[in-house]
Amino acid sequence: MTDTTLEHSGAHADAHDAHGHGSIAQRNDNLKMATWLYLASEVVIFSVLIAMFVVYRLENPARIEEVHQASGVLLVALNTFLLLTSSWAMVMGLHEIRKGNRKGLMRWIGLTALLGAVFVAFQYVEYSTLAHEGITLYSDAFGMRFYAPTAFHGAHVIVGVIWALLVVNHARRGGYTAEDNIGVEIFGLYWHFVDVVWIVLFTVIYLI
Amino acid sequence: MAAEQSAHSEAHETEQKAHTSHDQTVLLGRTIPFPIYTVVFGILAAATVIEVIISTLPKGALGTAILIALSAMKAILVVLFYMHLREDSRIFAIALGIPLFIAAVAMLFLTTVPPGSY
Repeated sequence: MTDTTLEHSGAHADAHDAHGHGSIAQRNDNLKMATWLYLASEVVIFSVLIAMFVVYRLENPARIEEVHQASGVLLVALNTFLLLTSSWAMVMGLHEIRKGNRKGLMRWIGLTALLGAVFVAFQYVEYSTLAHEGITLYSDAFGMRFYAPTAFHGAHVIVGVIWALLVVNHARRGGYTAEDNIGVEIFGLYWHFVDVVWIVLFTVIYLI
Repeated sequence: MAAEQSAHSEAHETEQKAHTSHDQTVLLGRTIPFPIYTVVFGILAAATVIEVIISTLPKGALGTAILIALSAMKAILVVLFYMHLREDSRIFAIALGIPLFIAAVAMLFLTTVPPGSY
């Protein structure tokens, strides 16, 4: 029985393999480093968009209150649960392929894609509701500061859904194994990052 | 032959135990029959419910601080457990940490320094 620490993937264990698998471990580490650097650049972009909203929020509390009253929090809270569940499904998929369960991977990543698609659909419903209230991209200063971060995030979710479907397809063709699943892990890093961004956006834009 | 079979079944049992151990979590001395990821998901869901409840109450400095703290906790849990930053190389944490730090400093500057001053 182990503690909360997850057993590390076989990549590092292969580093000293006499059959030259050290290069696979190195490749995997390079891929992960590249992904983290990409996510670091995304942190910069989203930080600018969030800062734009926060500064506006501090200077216009009455407008924010007005919008909160008009839109409510229920739909967005449901959307947050969807994304959190999709993140859990994503990591369970990785958990399954690390045990060699390809079908399990396909089911969980399929669920991830489905939840992501529903998230985007609900965000469209939210945008329609706000447009009906007169809050659009160019309606006032709030519009741009609201739609820029949330729509940019939504675009990332759409890319993630497409990527998830590609992962499922690749898994269906036997592309991932218990020893070689770095592609799933890389996608996971992207998807979880999208979830983390939403965690911040949900609090900053809708709750505070 | 019998010794071989015994060794093989022992190895299989050990492998099964290892897999079983991945599907259990020991938290604060208690064994929870779910993988760590499910436990973390439960914490994230509970934190979200608390956040939504707090947001419906009259807003004040304490409420805002709690919301920010819960949001930070959720983000950290996802990064540490789902993105495996706990087990991976420290350089990945540095790659994420540096822009986060810069963003935090910039945000602090933008929110505390009056607009006419820069």
